[in-house]
Amino acid sequence: MLEKGHRFPPVFFVLDEAAVHDYLEAAEDAALPELCRAQGQAWAPPMAVAALALRGLMEAMGLPPGTVHGSQEFEFRRPVVVGERLASRAWVAHRSQRSGWLALAVEMEVADEAGQAVLAGRAGVLIPQ
Amino acid sequence: MRPGKSTTETWAIGRELPSLSKALTQEKIDCYARASGDFNPIHVDPAFAATTPFGGTIAHGMLLLAYLSEMLTAAFGRAWLSGGRLKVRFKGAGRPGDTLTVRGRVERMQDEGRRVFATVECVNQAGEALVAGDAEVRLAGENGDG
Repeated sequence: MLEKGHRFPPVFFVLDEAAVHDYLEAAEDAALPELCRAQGQAWAPPMAVAALALRGLMEAMGLPPGTVHGSQEFEFRRPVVVGERLASRAWVAHRSQRSGWLALAVEMEVADEAGQAVLAGRAGVLIPQ
Repeated sequence: MRPGKSTTETWAIGRELPSLSKALTQEKIDCYARASGDFNPIHVDPAFAATTPFGGTIAHGMLLLAYLSEMLTAAFGRAWLSGGRLKVRFKGAGRPGDTLTVRGRVERMQDEGRRVFATVECVNQAGEALVAGDAEVRLAGENGDG
């Protein structure tokens, strides 16, 4: 488990209107609603897509208390429309041990129903040994 | 087009991104936990968090990234959602009672100004960096071809 190359089960999720509303309220994000109004679009916040994908990943990893989220990379490929069905896939890209910590880099990709990537990311986590 | 919405004329090396400030409270952290589904006790359980090296609850790192993303959305519009890249390190913890400021600065431009590279950070009221890193935006994406 959690060896380099390990692939986590895919996580499927939808950011519906209620979820986006709750996220925007929690993040106090005024910029996205303004952009959507200006462009006549109903886009989900890119970081909400990332957060839900990461949540599924962290649950699948079963991380112990004390785990540190040390670094994060994201590339947003295209705007996600509210209500789109998405699938997140992740795998262990790097694993090393140092000073009582297990360092993992987990790469992930979130794709739409057509299999086209909407987001790619890489999370660096330190797990106490 | 409004200023700060991703026109190639708007941005230049050294220009500051429009900063934002947020007053962090436990209520807001709890609200984010419900919205994101991340109920890790280090964020939402003061009794548990008091027993950790942090000594109290801390904000989700992804909440701090949400603040950065709001700034980048305000600065670059659709181009941030379509081709935006972010690479950060978490350097400290946001705590209830903190006043957080997210800010950024254009450091480099390429492709006749269509690719913008900026440093970004989230700092607390003491000026301590909690998140620091780099963002890249391809302004061509604004026209739907990026």
